[in-house]
Amino acid sequence: MEKKYWKGVEELNNSPEFTRLRDNEFFENLPIDEVLQNKASSTSSTSRRDFLKFLGFGVAAASLAACEAPVKKAIPYVVKPEEITYGVPDYYASAFFDGNDYCSVLVKTREGRPIKIEGNELSSVTKGGTNARVQASVLSLYDSARLTTPLSSKKKATWSEVDAAITSKLAQSAASGKKIVILSSTLPSPTTKKIITEFSSKYPTTEHIVYDAVSYYGLLKGNELSFGKSMIPSYRFDNAEVIVSFAADYLATWLSPIEFARQYAITRKLRDGKKNMSRHIQFESTLSLTGSNADNRYKLKPSQLSSAVANLYNKIAAVTGGASVSSSATPQDKAIEKVAQELLNAKGKSLVVSGSNDPNEQVLVNAINHLLGNYNTTINLNQECNLRASNDAAVIELMSKMNAGEVGTIIFWNTNPIYSLPNSKDFQSALAKVGTKVSFSDREDETAQYCDYVAPEHHYLESWNDLEPYKGYYNLVQPTIRPLFNTRQPQESLMKWAAMPQADYYAYLEENWKSNVYALQTGITSGHAFWTQSLRNGVFEVAVTAPSAPAFTGNVQDAASKITKPGTGVELVAYEKTGIANGAHANNPWLQEFPDPISKVCWDNYFAILPSYAAKMGYKQGNVIEVKVGNTSVKGPVLLQPAMADETIAIAVGYGRTKVGKAGNNVGVNAYPLVTIANAAMKYYSAATVSKTIEDDYPLAATQTHHTMMGREIVKETTLSAWLKDAKAGNPEEMIETPYGKKKVEDVDLWASQKNPGFDRPNHSWGLGIDLNACIGCGACVVACNAENNVAVVGKDEVMRSREMHWIRIDRYYSSDVTKENASEKGLGKLDMYGEMEKPAAENPDVVFQPVMCQHCNSAPCETVCPVVATTHSSEGLNMMAYNRCVGTRYCANNCPYKVRRFNWFEYTNNDKFPYTMTDNLGKMVLNPDVVVRSRGVMEKCSMCVQRIQYGKLEAKKAGRRPLDGEINTACAQSCPTNALVFGDYNDPQSEVNKLAVDGRSYHLLAEIKVKPGVFYQTKVRNKEEGKEA
Amino acid sequence: MGSRISLCYFWRREKRLLLSEMSKINLIPQTSKQSNMLRYVPRYLSFTLLAFILNVITLSPSIAQPNGEALFKQNCTSCHVVGDNKVVGPGLKNVHKKQSDEWLLKWIKNSQAFIKSGDPDAVKIYEEFNKIAMPAFALKEDEIKSIIAYIKTESDKAPVIAPGTTDAGTGAAVESKETSPLVYLLVLVLIIGLYAILNRVQKGLERVVRQRDGEAEPIVLKGKTRTKHWIREHKKLIAILLIVGMVYGSVKGWDALAGIGISQGYQPDQPIKFSHKLHAGTNKIDCRYCHSGAEKAKNANIPSANVCMNCHKYVQSGPKYGTEEISKIYKAIDFDPAKGVYGTNQKPIQWIRIHNLPDLAYFNHSQHVKVGKVECQTCHGPVQEMEQVQQFSPLTMGWCINCHRNTEVKMEGNGYYTKLHTDLLKKYGPQAKLTVDKIGGLECARCHY
Repeated sequence: MEKKYWKGVEELNNSPEFTRLRDNEFFENLPIDEVLQNKASSTSSTSRRDFLKFLGFGVAAASLAACEAPVKKAIPYVVKPEEITYGVPDYYASAFFDGNDYCSVLVKTREGRPIKIEGNELSSVTKGGTNARVQASVLSLYDSARLTTPLSSKKKATWSEVDAAITSKLAQSAASGKKIVILSSTLPSPTTKKIITEFSSKYPTTEHIVYDAVSYYGLLKGNELSFGKSMIPSYRFDNAEVIVSFAADYLATWLSPIEFARQYAITRKLRDGKKNMSRHIQFESTLSLTGSNADNRYKLKPSQLSSAVANLYNKIAAVTGGASVSSSATPQDKAIEKVAQELLNAKGKSLVVSGSNDPNEQVLVNAINHLLGNYNTTINLNQECNLRASNDAAVIELMSKMNAGEVGTIIFWNTNPIYSLPNSKDFQSALAKVGTKVSFSDREDETAQYCDYVAPEHHYLESWNDLEPYKGYYNLVQPTIRPLFNTRQPQESLMKWAAMPQADYYAYLEENWKSNVYALQTGITSGHAFWTQSLRNGVFEVAVTAPSAPAFTGNVQDAASKITKPGTGVELVAYEKTGIANGAHANNPWLQEFPDPISKVCWDNYFAILPSYAAKMGYKQGNVIEVKVGNTSVKGPVLLQPAMADETIAIAVGYGRTKVGKAGNNVGVNAYPLVTIANAAMKYYSAATVSKTIEDDYPLAATQTHHTMMGREIVKETTLSAWLKDAKAGNPEEMIETPYGKKKVEDVDLWASQKNPGFDRPNHSWGLGIDLNACIGCGACVVACNAENNVAVVGKDEVMRSREMHWIRIDRYYSSDVTKENASEKGLGKLDMYGEMEKPAAENPDVVFQPVMCQHCNSAPCETVCPVVATTHSSEGLNMMAYNRCVGTRYCANNCPYKVRRFNWFEYTNNDKFPYTMTDNLGKMVLNPDVVVRSRGVMEKCSMCVQRIQYGKLEAKKAGRRPLDGEINTACAQSCPTNALVFGDYNDPQSEVNKLAVDGRSYHLLAEIKVKPGVFYQTKVRNKEEGKEA
Repeated sequence: MGSRISLCYFWRREKRLLLSEMSKINLIPQTSKQSNMLRYVPRYLSFTLLAFILNVITLSPSIAQPNGEALFKQNCTSCHVVGDNKVVGPGLKNVHKKQSDEWLLKWIKNSQAFIKSGDPDAVKIYEEFNKIAMPAFALKEDEIKSIIAYIKTESDKAPVIAPGTTDAGTGAAVESKETSPLVYLLVLVLIIGLYAILNRVQKGLERVVRQRDGEAEPIVLKGKTRTKHWIREHKKLIAILLIVGMVYGSVKGWDALAGIGISQGYQPDQPIKFSHKLHAGTNKIDCRYCHSGAEKAKNANIPSANVCMNCHKYVQSGPKYGTEEISKIYKAIDFDPAKGVYGTNQKPIQWIRIHNLPDLAYFNHSQHVKVGKVECQTCHGPVQEMEQVQQFSPLTMGWCINCHRNTEVKMEGNGYYTKLHTDLLKKYGPQAKLTVDKIGGLECARCHY
């Protein structure tokens, strides 16, 4: 019998009323007759003719009004600064440090406003590299969430009011013997430290406590236990032949990632006759950016990592004669044995690092490095790193002091403990017992909202400062724009409050440099000349202090007994994402929309879980789960992340901010509460309990939803040993089936023939080479491109519809267990094979990154299908896009084999639906005036920074010479911390790009379709152990 | 009845014949052209002769002796006026009465040497003008004399005549070249009048014929019926008129639409009545002195007020508006001319932008001025003759492209082009004109990105 479903009880009863309603679609009568019979309307003075007349007049008036061009004004300077030429950028050397990343930068300004950050090649630390966060920092300057005036009790106030009030409060605190606490992030500025010292002498009860959102206390303390001094040494990854990292994400977030990425890339590149590569082995629980670049990657649960370090120590100590320690077994002990052997083989040329915040684990790491003799080569204890100085113990102690009412005044400087402390609720209640609370925050953030006074600080591009990232490395920070708002540097505020005689911080800084820093050198003989040269160069470096083997005084037995023992059950680990990091820049839309290099998810954080473990637990992607650590629980969506350790859940900190601004508020969940405090140090992993909630699935916006290459050779790969035997290993000649048998790709052409050899490139022929061996997938290029080319931010909703506008994306692929070769062995049919190939390898897939932008095909499929000839080819090899010709058919995007064309589905400027960079007047100031802002309905794509090419060519023409190789560079290539991208002219026989193009590793993406791209890639070479294929 | 028809028919045929005859004339352009040319020759002849004679008259004195006026404007106007007011140096009205020609000669040739020689008058003037030295002029004696002669004649005319008033004649001359719409109207009225007269004559004749034949007067139709009949009888005429009207309308409409956004001839009133004619024309100040960006950057830039002050700190009064316009610069830069000091209350001058290239087009001045060695006037027109600047060129893409098709690239002497030049000559032949389009000057991404 057929089943019948009723729409409702009414249908079941089948009442006459129901039948009547069912049969009438519009069950209420439309009031047509009433309208027509309305006397008022028929006798209305506006007849149909009148209406048409008005309409006609309206249209005519509107079109007439439109014809008249609005009067535009040209307002020149009254007195033009000498260095400004309209239309010509000025560059100023400065430095970026936000308490997290250090980078020596050049700031590009146009008509007095900073629009782009570029690396400063004079710095021997960062060597011209940048990362996504540094690139995005220029946008934070134009953040409308910034405070425009100081606040007093949450109300706008003047500086004199605030100064007077705070000075009296400080005096009160000092007089009553109560503490004045400056709670700041790490401040590696010698002059700032001097100011704090002078402030302390004025107010003797002052205590300066350093608190970083993500702590390196374990590293500092570990070194103190090992060598008697709380410090961080400098690392030289470029000197290391074997690098072993225990969950230190040194290419993305750990300590000084730009510097380390550059060093690391030197050991990875196979250029200019270099035939050796470093070995990189990573032990970790999450899949970090660093881990994804490793030659061998071993998965361990977070609690097993410390024991793995101890086991490695034992293996090495057994050979080198160190004392052995007691340790627990881990699942990777076999691998550890092999790694130990490799390290021993590379004694003195290896490096072991750990990302743990446990001082005892760091003692063991130091012991390993010490036994291996690395303190002479890859680690320099004499070259102290000043980039992290956080003191977890002091922060915890501070809370008890606050609770005891000992603190009279607290000053927050670049810290936001209410947001970033795990026990922020306790901190909040302790804060209530502090007499006066002052914040230097540039916005009314989570902590500033509880402060009595907010003395907002400048953006770093408005500030004077100096930095000493490493002992002897100085970098000046200079303003590149007048302060946009009524803000003031914290240093200057402290000077005012301490009634110091100097007029401002600038005067103080200059004085300090002219007297103290000047004395460190001998070359320049006048303080003024030294100051101006240092300002011009940005950096001033004293000769490097040579490393020396220190005396290791650590107690390894004690350390080994205190490390975490492998636990059972689910563990949660909190980590930093490459884009948002510790969350300080959460209101930066470029960083929010920047897809995470690994998960490709933007605008969110999530609980990353290994797919097989998730399947076991019954979680699917997007399910909302609740993770409980101790008494704190956090709800968030599940992301299936291949290559995670089993029984491990990872979540990124830096999200879930509530008082940061329009773009960043309530994006993701705050994971800091899941951090725990153990032995007076922050602990970023703990045992957890997980439960599935009944909440609706939470959609995540990912820019890449497929994970494998499906058996196609998109990223070509080989191993070092294979490559040494054959320069074209992994990159065999592409052959095409023709009626005359198999032929080489270049021998087959639809268009060109002997008579018609195609287009010539009489002048330039631009090209871009991408070394996949050097590309670490960090995404600096993505944000640099955003800044250079006015790429719109579209928001999570649009990204979910695959409408992101990034001109360059970084594809990330996982290796699959199933290949075309082994499918039949596994008994898979063709369909099943493809189904299985879609799945990343279950256990530990290899990861590859590939930046993809417009390939500037010389036989471009997009060009031939445009009905209005909006996209054409230039005689310099560029695929050009004329936005004003484009009518938006999107045929070109359909026909693009690389899917690099982006369509403007909406007007992203002045549109309240997209409240990001181009909607408020402030945000628009970051736009590059040399690049058009695209409008709705047109296609756009990578132009290979044609504005930079044109600019460089013109400079050469004006000077009457050819452009030098490297003089013209694209934004992506320039920002790259590893120099993986090389831009140049194929017509210049001496150019770097030409040399790379003829290398055996070079290949074109999808060469078999013969679109002859102008961009080429170079095979990724892995330094795998012998016998194991890539 | 029959004759009426025949007459009408005849008239119509006449008309048709007339039309066909006309078209025949049009079909033989050569003869008509020749005849036209022949007709014009005498006129041209007379015109050329006139021009020649005029030339001889105007040029002959300049060959014989230096032009005092021109020399004065070239050398002296930046610091002196023929008047009573001081500019940088003293007003020169009646200077010939104050000093002898000999004294003036010595002073103008080398005032510093003259002062050193200890002439009391010379020293006195030098002291009076705060020891601002007048530069030495390498002028010949007769040239200086011609300048003095010019000062003499100018001094006798009082007051100073503003230069703007002298161009009254040119405007009329320009107008006479084009036939004014009044003439067309007159012709139209004449034709209509003629038609009306002929129509009446014809009707009168018809009536006479009818009376002679004893026919009855035809029924005269009135009002709408008459119009309807007329329309019915003139279908072809109406059709032709309609077609002509539509074609005319379309052409005009198309032109109007194509002209949207083109502001050729745009000549707004500027906040300061700055005369390019005076500065670039009379005083021959190089364009790039003020528009210094033209050789360096994308923008030629409107000079900031401090550039104006390089001269106008001293030149405090202009020949046409006196101090009125120059004081606006002082107001902007907050300069007190009496004390010669700057204040802090500066307000930028809000010029009206004349050349508004749309955002979608990238134009770089230095590419054209420095590399392409294009004269400013090529695009901006005779700015040195413009009292008030106007947009000379249409600034349309077609205009850009035409120029790129016709202009040869200045490759010689520029190291950037050396190899390209030889390569292109190989490709296009040694005599080839290497225009901008041959090196990719028409490609989209040269201007649009």
